[in-house]
Amino acid sequence: MKRRTVLLSALGAVGGLGALVVGWGVLPARSRLGSPDLMLPTAGDVALNGWIKIAADGSVVLAMPRSEMGQGVHTALAMLVAEELDLPLQRVRLEQAGADTIYGNVAMLVGSLPFHPLESEGGDKPTKVRVGEWMVGKIARELGIIVTGGSSSVADAWDPVRTAAATARASLLGAAAAQWKLPVQELRVVEGLVSHPSGVSAHYGALAAAAAGTAPGTFTLKDRKDWKLIGKKAPRSDIPAKTNGSAQFGLDVRLPGMLYAQVRQCPMLGGAVASLDAKAALAMAGVEKLVALDAMGGSTAGFAVVGKTTWHARQAALAVEVKWQQRAQGALDSQQIENQLLAALDGTSGDTFFEKGSVSQAQADAKRVIEATYRAPYLAHATMEPMNCTAQVKDGKVEIWVPTQVPEMARAIAAKVAGVPANQVTLHVTLLGGGFGRRLDVDFVAQAVRVAMECQGKPVQLGWSREEDTTHDFYRPLHVAKLRATVDAQGGISSLSIQSAGDAISPRWLERGLPALAGPMDMPDKTTAEGLFDLPYGFANQHMAHVATRMGVPVGFWRSVGHSHNAFFSESFIDELAFETQQDPVAFRTALLKDAPRYLAVLQLAADKAQWGKPLPAGRARGVALHESFGSIVAEMAEVSLLGGKPRVHRVVCAVDCGTVVNPDTVAQQMESAVIFGLTAALYGKIDIKDGVVQQTSFPNYPMVMLAEAPVVETWIVPSTRSPGGVGEPGVPPLAPAVANALFVLTKKRARQLPLVV
Amino acid sequence: MELNINGQVAHFDAEPDMPLLWVLRDVLNMTGTKFGCGVAACGACTVRVDGEPTRSCVMPVSAVLGKRIQTIEGLGTVDKPHVLQAAWIAEQVPQCGYCQSGMLMAAAALLEKKPKPSDADIDAAMSNICRCGTHQRVRAAIHRAAGTAA
Repeated sequence: MKRRTVLLSALGAVGGLGALVVGWGVLPARSRLGSPDLMLPTAGDVALNGWIKIAADGSVVLAMPRSEMGQGVHTALAMLVAEELDLPLQRVRLEQAGADTIYGNVAMLVGSLPFHPLESEGGDKPTKVRVGEWMVGKIARELGIIVTGGSSSVADAWDPVRTAAATARASLLGAAAAQWKLPVQELRVVEGLVSHPSGVSAHYGALAAAAAGTAPGTFTLKDRKDWKLIGKKAPRSDIPAKTNGSAQFGLDVRLPGMLYAQVRQCPMLGGAVASLDAKAALAMAGVEKLVALDAMGGSTAGFAVVGKTTWHARQAALAVEVKWQQRAQGALDSQQIENQLLAALDGTSGDTFFEKGSVSQAQADAKRVIEATYRAPYLAHATMEPMNCTAQVKDGKVEIWVPTQVPEMARAIAAKVAGVPANQVTLHVTLLGGGFGRRLDVDFVAQAVRVAMECQGKPVQLGWSREEDTTHDFYRPLHVAKLRATVDAQGGISSLSIQSAGDAISPRWLERGLPALAGPMDMPDKTTAEGLFDLPYGFANQHMAHVATRMGVPVGFWRSVGHSHNAFFSESFIDELAFETQQDPVAFRTALLKDAPRYLAVLQLAADKAQWGKPLPAGRARGVALHESFGSIVAEMAEVSLLGGKPRVHRVVCAVDCGTVVNPDTVAQQMESAVIFGLTAALYGKIDIKDGVVQQTSFPNYPMVMLAEAPVVETWIVPSTRSPGGVGEPGVPPLAPAVANALFVLTKKRARQLPLVV
Repeated sequence: MELNINGQVAHFDAEPDMPLLWVLRDVLNMTGTKFGCGVAACGACTVRVDGEPTRSCVMPVSAVLGKRIQTIEGLGTVDKPHVLQAAWIAEQVPQCGYCQSGMLMAAAALLEKKPKPSDADIDAAMSNICRCGTHQRVRAAIHRAAGTAA
């Protein structure tokens, strides 16, 4: 494979074609305010736009297109509304948003552009960045893909949701001014009560009907100095129900006459049923039927057994005697794949994602070369709530209840499987018992609908066992990388070049979930190279390339995606360079961050709070890592010792610049969450595939960090007035290298693979 | 069959070897107790049987007849939350929340045995898996409820 440089050629083609054909390119970007009729009509409520409805009691209903999976998004978006409308947070209620494109996630698509983050550091973004973002933003508004992922929900909602609330407020005030014949500038709002110094007042509910016919006129978003809610710790609205068992996850849906289905898929990934004998299984008490399941939405084929409870269905599914067959292309094997990827690191292949100066010149002039090869395995998501979906197919209509990050993809696959138009599918998004990217896929939705079609109109809850969940995931792909630096005559690092190899994720995901958008060939996928091509360090000569492969293992988005392994590669290697050139790891990074002040501030804050340089008790060491992802920069300092030959992480200090913070307690929660998630991967995470079969099956052989092993996590936030960045994922990438770098201090041995082997 | 659940008698039909978890969830529609792994490894299904924290996914219903069963639905009420539920809200413990019923039931059993638990006591008693990483807030909330907060 020859090197090629990543260009935005496809986007240019799409935009250019649009401009030529319909002049689309010069039209203003589609508004995301939306018309009132997009909201669910409810008696007594008045919708003022596609996001905001005013209830008779003066409370406000927000159309919520994002899924709550523990990241606090339901509270964060409600805070934006409460802020602009001057309401107490508890007076904002949520209603599931419909299917309109105004609810599509624009920020996530814009964030998928392969631009180096430093290019956008200054006040003025370079033209190619502005054009790329404008173009993709415009396309994203047209596509309107509703998705919760990419740590993008607050960044995406920041303008449209605040604008929707501010518009509603302007109409409400306009209505009051007209009704009272008073100048609108003299009105004020306190906790949803509009009043005038003359004594007249009314709450929003009393003004809503008139507001619906009142143009908002000119309005401005609140100045940040006037914020009462944004930036202050707010209790999350979903938490009380999560302490008393009343929170409704997908598996908690209960409907009259509901049946339960349990799935068994071919253990060999991509394989199928050769033959099966279900006589004994179907004769068991409480068992209804067996439904064959083709491969759908990226799943492996198998079958489901339907029974009167989950337990009856599961017992019977296990009792089915089945002969499985391997996929036609032959059995998958993760060791073989790793060998193939390592062989692909030939130094010349792949897509170039970043280039600066001349690495070849630096190599020619080098006094010394430092080189290392790093590896990271396949990983499963292991959400606590296994995959599930409840479906009812009746009279040409489909109704589904599903914990999903992609409701409209769920709707589309449900319609396709049932053979009905999408508008005949009613969809309910439940709470998600964890997502981490697994619920960006809808294979289990297709299965539930397929089974429901055989259940004579009765609702059926299709669930996966833990074993099915672990062995039939869309895995974080196995990746390898070769990193090479040159040392010049003065002993400084003169170049850094990185070549990595592994499966692309986005094209596979598009193929199975949004086939209309999957092109005839794979475009270079940022998710494979992020965390390698976008480093902040000012090495004069750099070259970063990625060899995209397609090995056949189902791969998907795993919390922090490419960054999850690439930060381990890059930040471990940066640490190697510091030690190889006899420099302190923080001082070494600091010297290379002269042109990256945001990164430097984050690193300094972490160093201060962790008291970098202050001696630790014997047997303990600190490690540092710094990484940008999803628009946010996180530095982590891990304090590590060896306990019985195994790493024990005692404390992790996190410093984060995630732009403007909406709810600081959520930021802290997500840093704590990311540290445990990252630590589980660093210490234990590994999926092996042999003879096509995933070897890890459940928590006993795919272990998680337990409470007794959990480090103390501290979170420190760098104050910022930038637009919000991501929070759910950026804490994950720096954890593994921070721990690995501390381990090196303890063992003098560099761990270059995950999970870390001491 | 009948079971004493949260101080009330529940009548139902079930095979004796059916795990308590599925009796609760699919027969009695008490969905607060969660399914996580089915092999007693994660603790999402933890209930209390005569006060003891018990992983209900592997406990045949026939083995708990005549015993006092407490589930998350019986830990406290909205008006009168258990001290742990109040602490869980004060510390903002749950994220996705799926494992939290089991966490709370394990913590309730711990506090009954050790009203002033040490960190080591908490480490030993809280063997539930949480994928969201609420670990340090779980610890903080138990200390808060026990009045042993640092």
